[in-house]
Amino acid sequence: MVDKAANYLGDDIMSALAVDSTPPSAKLSPGDWMKKNLFSNAANSIVSLIVGLAAAALVWFGLKWIINADFAIIRANLRIFLIGQFPKEELWRPWASAYVLILGAGLMTGAMARNSYELDISQELEPVKESWGQMVRRFWPVLLVSIFFVSFARTIMPYIGLAAAFVLIVVTRELGWRMPAAVRQRALYIGVLLFIVSMLVIAGTSRLGGYALGLVVFIWMMSELSQVETLPVGFVGTLVRAAIALVIAAAVAVIQNLIPHDGFGWENWGGLHISLFTTVVGITLGMPFGILLALGRKSNLPVLKTASVIFIEFVRGVPLISLLLFSNLMLPLFLPIDFERPADLTLAIVVITGFSAAYIAEIVRGGLQAVPKGQTEAAQASGMSAASVQRFIVLPQALRAVIPAMVGQFIALFKDTSLLSIIGILEFLRVSDTSNAQQEFVGKGLASVTYLFVAIGYWAFAYTMSKESRRLEAKLGVGHR
Amino acid sequence: MINFLLLLLGLAAIGTAIYVVGRLIFDIFAMFRDRATRDDGDKAVLWRDVKAIGIVAQVAALLAIVGVGAFLWGNFRDRTDAIGLKLGFDFLDQPAGITIADNPLIAGDSVGTAIVAGFFNTIRIIMVGIPLALILGTLIGIARFSSNWIVRKLATGYVEFFRNIPPLVVIVFVWSAVFLNGFPTAQNAWKPLGEWFILSNNRFAIPSIMGQDNFGVFRWILLAALLLAAGVAYWRTKVFDNTGTPHHRVMWGLGTFFGIGLIAYLILGGPVSMSKPMLDDRGRVFSNGFRIQMPFAAITVALVIYTATHIAEIVRGSIMAVHKGQEEAANALALSTFQRYRFVVLPQAMRVAFPPLISQFLNFSKNSSLAIAIGAAETTNIINNLFGQSQPAPQLILILALLYLTLSLILSAVGNLINRRLQIVGR
Repeated sequence: MVDKAANYLGDDIMSALAVDSTPPSAKLSPGDWMKKNLFSNAANSIVSLIVGLAAAALVWFGLKWIINADFAIIRANLRIFLIGQFPKEELWRPWASAYVLILGAGLMTGAMARNSYELDISQELEPVKESWGQMVRRFWPVLLVSIFFVSFARTIMPYIGLAAAFVLIVVTRELGWRMPAAVRQRALYIGVLLFIVSMLVIAGTSRLGGYALGLVVFIWMMSELSQVETLPVGFVGTLVRAAIALVIAAAVAVIQNLIPHDGFGWENWGGLHISLFTTVVGITLGMPFGILLALGRKSNLPVLKTASVIFIEFVRGVPLISLLLFSNLMLPLFLPIDFERPADLTLAIVVITGFSAAYIAEIVRGGLQAVPKGQTEAAQASGMSAASVQRFIVLPQALRAVIPAMVGQFIALFKDTSLLSIIGILEFLRVSDTSNAQQEFVGKGLASVTYLFVAIGYWAFAYTMSKESRRLEAKLGVGHR
Repeated sequence: MINFLLLLLGLAAIGTAIYVVGRLIFDIFAMFRDRATRDDGDKAVLWRDVKAIGIVAQVAALLAIVGVGAFLWGNFRDRTDAIGLKLGFDFLDQPAGITIADNPLIAGDSVGTAIVAGFFNTIRIIMVGIPLALILGTLIGIARFSSNWIVRKLATGYVEFFRNIPPLVVIVFVWSAVFLNGFPTAQNAWKPLGEWFILSNNRFAIPSIMGQDNFGVFRWILLAALLLAAGVAYWRTKVFDNTGTPHHRVMWGLGTFFGIGLIAYLILGGPVSMSKPMLDDRGRVFSNGFRIQMPFAAITVALVIYTATHIAEIVRGSIMAVHKGQEEAANALALSTFQRYRFVVLPQAMRVAFPPLISQFLNFSKNSSLAIAIGAAETTNIINNLFGQSQPAPQLILILALLYLTLSLILSAVGNLINRRLQIVGR
């Protein structure tokens, strides 16, 4: 009650202060606007003229070049650019995979948006539901580029497929928004499971997919069972819960294995798909290791600290390309002698996981330092164990503070996946080289066309994510609290 | 040099191992001594003692690391024995059979020499590229505050475009679209000034100087003149600080340097002469003059374009961090825009900007390894070529990592030194 009264008083003062705080709208006429922004004085006018002419020339020559350029190479190789050497009769797999992915993402984001909407209502804040116009403004680069990509298609199917995808996004997001609260609370698990399923649609039945599914189901079941109050508490209870969760997870994994369907392992994947996949996997697997490394670096146990510092500083001190050469040439040498050499991408993912773990560790360390010391001390004073202090008090605050930086790391890793081309993995950039080596196009000097296409593809995703990172930064109020 | 670095690495590894194990043993003794001096009521049972738990965890971690390491090492030895790979570093003295265009390296030189030659090329890329990226980035960063709409928008567009595409794409695009296909071939090189300026998609060449008699002495005199000029500039600054008379330190310094240089040149009887690029019978540059291989120019330009966007963002952020009152005060003193940035805003902004700038410089040096994609003969490229000559990969990768680690350490040490000079000295 006291809190509320204070709040009302505060509101009163704030609303009193807020009267007429907006400046009078300054709508300039085009002439005034130009005078103010382009020709405010002699020097500015000259600069405007020179720079403006240079920019116009750049646009003119750029447009001329684009109009005259021969895009046949892109039309012929569009499929390889996007998903690599996928056989034509199996094309339904990537489409189905994309739809499952959209289903998961739509349900998850819709449900999460609704959750924070409900939270705002319960906290008596003004809730906002984002309109579709705002969504388009947030994601316009990706939307535009997906249309741009499809415009190179030679049949009608991709157009229909893309239109269906747009419809599916709208439908699933609205569906996620309208799901019952009990389902909405579990949206994260549903999204992650559907992500794995979407990968399985391409890869077919696979042992790795089974493990991934089982792991997610296990974690989910553990969190579900922790709310069941009839189970015993303490260590025995944890064991019982783990046993039940393990049985369910194993059942899911076995069922996944029993549904026989063939697909394509990632040694046959390629194109933009592999770039995005490697990024997601690298960040997801790197996260737990990164958090452990950050905690290790902050610990006062010399062995853990030294090991963490050496790993982090070594990985951050050398270029990624030397690590990728290591993965390609040396990593197989560490396997037992009767093991077969794994696929290049598997080796690369191992190294990329370590690479992103080292960078994430430094980001998380920054977040840990931002948590006030009083938090730890208060937790210790209330008798929490060292592990609980980290798990329930420090890490949640630290990880929340580093979300924007984590998105930044995601962008950096996405850009770094282009290096996979150097060790011969057919990712987005390398398709440009292979298509220029094809018989119809070799020696025609079309590299600039394909490189530009690739650059636009990378740009759309990276730019969207960097906008998202800035939005999150503003929303979370990092640094302004 | 490589052997010396390997020695340092070995010493560091041994030192770390001794430190870790020693510290652990010391902690164990300290714990038991601590427990022995306490009363029974005052201490926890051994398995609930925080220090004991820590020590057990560390011993377990150490055993796990050593165990996994031994397992991997065993596999590694099995595999290398099976393919007959020798693990020593003797191969460094064998002839490498690698030549680099415009480099004194010959095919008979050893592997070690070839790698070091590549390393110096890496350092060249960095020493040219980082200052250029810093200048371009700072200008773009300032341009984003311009009162001119076109300048502001162009700067924003430049940053937002190049920041969000991979550096490797920038490099291959600049190389293949601009340098390789945009410039004339070596036979039809562009020579607007005859032999004074030759540009082709193979080389860029301008005249330079060539040593004659007494060149050795002349070089030492020039070095001494340079030091003397720095001393003069320092002295002028002191005079300015003490008396306020205009220092003109640049004029004084340059005057000293060129005055001594000219006198020495005349006395020594022309120790240097002009060296114009020589062309072969098909009109291609092949020797003399100052020559740059185009792949080096391409990697430097591409990395400058890419890194400048990041530097521009840092500069922009740090300018925004400068208190607005500073700018207003500068305006109130009627300083021009240039003066305001040069004397008021940038000195304060650079203080904030420098730590993140160091990490951008490190990124630049690491990204220079991407020259492997366009065939500029720097460290990574040379080592990649050596793989192809069936030199042992594990040792070469170790050396590669070691060289970049050394570079990163030196760069960040220099950066931190400068950073310390830049910061305000607190009480």
